[in-house]
Amino acid sequence: MISLPSFLAISFILFVSGLVVMIAKKNIIAILLGVELILNSAALNFAAYTRFVNQNLDGHIMSLFIIIIAAAEAAVGLAIVIRFFQIRESIHIDDATQLLQ
Amino acid sequence: MDYTIGNIAPIILLPFAAFVINAFIVKKVPKFAVGLGCITMFASFCYACRVFKDFVFVTYSADYYVHKVFTWFDLGLINGKPFNVDMGIYLDNMSAVLLLMVTGCALIIHIFSTFYMEHDARFGSFFVYLSLFTAAMIGLVLSENLLSVFVFWELMGFCSYSLIGFYYEKEGAGNASMKAFMTTRVGDVFFLVGILAIWSTIGSTSFVDIYAAIASGAFNDLTVVGIPLVTFSAISIFLGTIGKSAQFPLQVWLPDAMWGPTPCSALIHAATMVAAGVYLSLRMYPLMEAGGITTVIAYIGGITAFGAATIALIQTDIKAVLAYSTISQLGYMVLGIGVGAYNAAFMHLITHAVFKACLFLSAGSVIHSLHDHHTDGHVQEMPRMGGLRKKMPFTFIAMLCCTFAIAGFPFFSGFVSKDRILGDALLQALDHKTMIAPAVLGFIAALLTAFYMFRMMFLTFYGEPRDKELYEHTDVETLSWNRNVPLLILTVFTLGFWYSGSLTGQGLVKFPGVEHKEWFSTLIKKPDVEKFTKYKREAWGSTDSRDQFFEKAHYDANHGMTEAQAHHAHHVHHIGAIMSIIIAFFGFFIAYMMYIKKAWSPGWWSSKLSPWYRALQSKYFFDDLYIKVIIQKGLLGMNNFLAWIDMGIYDRYIVDGTEVINRFAYRVSNWFDNKIVDTVGVDGTGASVRLFNVVLRTIQSGKIQFYFMILVVVLVSYIWTLV
Amino acid sequence: MFDNFIFLSSAALAIGGALSVVVSTNLMHSCIYLLMSLIGVSGLYVTLSADFLAATQLVVYVGGVVILMLFAIMLTAGSDNKTVNRFGIVKIPPMGNLKTYIMSLLTAGVMGCSVLKMIMNINQTTKLGELPPYSTTVEQIGTLLVTDHVLAFEISSVLLLGALVGAAVIARPRLENEVTK
Repeated sequence: MISLPSFLAISFILFVSGLVVMIAKKNIIAILLGVELILNSAALNFAAYTRFVNQNLDGHIMSLFIIIIAAAEAAVGLAIVIRFFQIRESIHIDDATQLLQ
Repeated sequence: MDYTIGNIAPIILLPFAAFVINAFIVKKVPKFAVGLGCITMFASFCYACRVFKDFVFVTYSADYYVHKVFTWFDLGLINGKPFNVDMGIYLDNMSAVLLLMVTGCALIIHIFSTFYMEHDARFGSFFVYLSLFTAAMIGLVLSENLLSVFVFWELMGFCSYSLIGFYYEKEGAGNASMKAFMTTRVGDVFFLVGILAIWSTIGSTSFVDIYAAIASGAFNDLTVVGIPLVTFSAISIFLGTIGKSAQFPLQVWLPDAMWGPTPCSALIHAATMVAAGVYLSLRMYPLMEAGGITTVIAYIGGITAFGAATIALIQTDIKAVLAYSTISQLGYMVLGIGVGAYNAAFMHLITHAVFKACLFLSAGSVIHSLHDHHTDGHVQEMPRMGGLRKKMPFTFIAMLCCTFAIAGFPFFSGFVSKDRILGDALLQALDHKTMIAPAVLGFIAALLTAFYMFRMMFLTFYGEPRDKELYEHTDVETLSWNRNVPLLILTVFTLGFWYSGSLTGQGLVKFPGVEHKEWFSTLIKKPDVEKFTKYKREAWGSTDSRDQFFEKAHYDANHGMTEAQAHHAHHVHHIGAIMSIIIAFFGFFIAYMMYIKKAWSPGWWSSKLSPWYRALQSKYFFDDLYIKVIIQKGLLGMNNFLAWIDMGIYDRYIVDGTEVINRFAYRVSNWFDNKIVDTVGVDGTGASVRLFNVVLRTIQSGKIQFYFMILVVVLVSYIWTLV
Repeated sequence: MFDNFIFLSSAALAIGGALSVVVSTNLMHSCIYLLMSLIGVSGLYVTLSADFLAATQLVVYVGGVVILMLFAIMLTAGSDNKTVNRFGIVKIPPMGNLKTYIMSLLTAGVMGCSVLKMIMNINQTTKLGELPPYSTTVEQIGTLLVTDHVLAFEISSVLLLGALVGAAVIARPRLENEVTK
């Protein structure tokens, strides 16, 4: 039961869910939630491959860095969201079209 | 005393910088521009003083010079000869003295102009031109080769043109400026030809290279149109002098140049620019000597000195008298060059610059005071003056001293320099029969000079006022810093002992306690061409590294001649000096009898010599000759011929033929324009832009999630192709 | 047995949380669902005998990122009441509507197919019993971080510092004229 394919399946579901959230939701924070899901699926994959394939700790290190980057990304992303909210009084993604004009 | 560029370049760069700055700001802040012009002139004068001090008081060597060059452009080897043009600075004793004179006169004239031009509408622009002119003149003095001399020469010509036509509202001023420009241009063309002749021969136009080439015989056996090349180039360069210094055939422009403001007449047409021609001839003296044209030069100088003096006899305009006297004095300088009085000619250049600048400024002071309320103009006519010495005591003193100087009274500078020229002329006349005529002309001109100058003085300052109303409207002069002080400073330097060391310059009357220094004739010597054959060139910007020792110059009572020759020369000079003193007093006496005592009537003379009087009135018909004969007969015919070529041949066949071709080309290009460029090119571009617009607008939605989807699609396509 | 139980419950938590994030129409709720999902992933790490990773996941994600997000949600509350944008066009609801879901499912389907194509040929059937026994990884990870991966470690510290400063600078309140500019 606890085998590589099952972990891959869980990670796949997380990935697809994240993808759907990123595209379907129009709220910037919700999109960030989707990003977190995708990052988690990747990290889970690394950990699973380390456990079942090569048994060293490189995958753990990689997962750690993913967590670090996710934290940094969340901090900056949310700062941008708050700034955007200060300017536009909205966190709707379709309002962020300044670059288009 | 190591000279770097930093010591010398400011002399020229400061006035030039003032010109550049003033040219932009003069409309907004004319007063500031005037101040800037004067201050930069003063700084330039200080630098020139430093150079003068080093040359005359520190080094005191006849051979010392500073020469720094950089290559301006290099044409490589042409026919095996190097063709490059150097630019740079050549300073020797002559340049140092001239530099001090130019900057000093320019400074004084700048100061005087603040008085003279104060109420002029274009007060500021006048100083812009003055700055440019002074920079150009300084550049000419500092130049080390003929080409840069030519550049500055033309620059001065332009400034002269602008300043003669300064009152361009008056028609005469415009015509006079054009006349001056065109007349000097005749000389300049020959000057350029001479430069090219030298350049093509020795591959350089530098003074030192020319001297070296003369010494090493590079000019030997070369001929141009049948005459030796050295003679050809000497004549060509001397023609430049004739144009610029208003010598005999081309003297017509200088009297008309008096249309300009009086300070500019003082600076340009008395002190500096016209002297530049003489300076050029002095610089090229070895060439003139090698070319064997000194006799010609002496004749031209003598004729000019005499002819201009005779015309000055009957002039009634105070500035016209001074203009003709300038031509006459320039004739003396040229005569000095012709008779080999190198040092005396240059000394006359300096002394003349000082006293003639002072005379012009004094005349300006007089003219400025005499304001006619009927015509709202200034009065220059001497018949309306008279008795002004009570109204203008300071101007009177200055002008009187200068008149003494120019007339050649003892103790004054004019006596020292003119007498040396006349003495040398006399010496030459005794040796060569051909030189008798120039010497005689020179002595007669000295008589005439004394006469017409005192005539001018008496008519202006003595006797009863002839125009009472004008006289009463004239204010009494008070001593002012920018009107009388410049005049009085110049007046101090009309005394002879500044230049000669002794009061007479002859050593006859020794003033107690004054050492017989003679710095002027000791330091300024004919360039010894042999010395320049071993010459080593100094790079621009480096300090002077010549290890050569320059021995101090010593006063040589024999002037390099043997004892017997020197004795003979001194003897002749003493005779000349006594003759010129007698002549000066005689001229003074005639003028006194005619205009103070009124014992001799000028009218009797003019009726007795009426043909000559008419000739003088029309200035020896030179203007008629040039306008009626040369221009109307010769040049107008050529002009018509050229016009016929233009209209009959060029216009009819070439222009009209071009038109036919053009019309065909028009039709072709019209079709090409409409069909190809317009339809395909322009409209096609529009259509394609619209097409891409549709595509790109759809893609560039600005929706982040749409971009993300595109990203995903691209990623998927990667996966499908790679895996 | 215990492992299986932990695996199943963690997997259920992770998958359920993720799907709930997808379907939830309340932002606050979906954030909480994300929290559930992250906790589940942490449990999965435990079954993979990655104890340090599991602890980090809990501390950083559950304790940090999600709390941060909750704060952001609360700070931007009240933004959803505008239904038209500044051009007057009716906006898609913040949590999506049917159209966006269809679009996203299509994209996810394409992407998922591709990913499945990649992972289908993995026939790794290693069982848990054949693996080396459980041992703590903290010490080894610590050693690796300062030996083999020291450069990445240092760079990530710089990254974190940069993110810290950047976030502070971006989110700082500004003067009125700056905002209008």
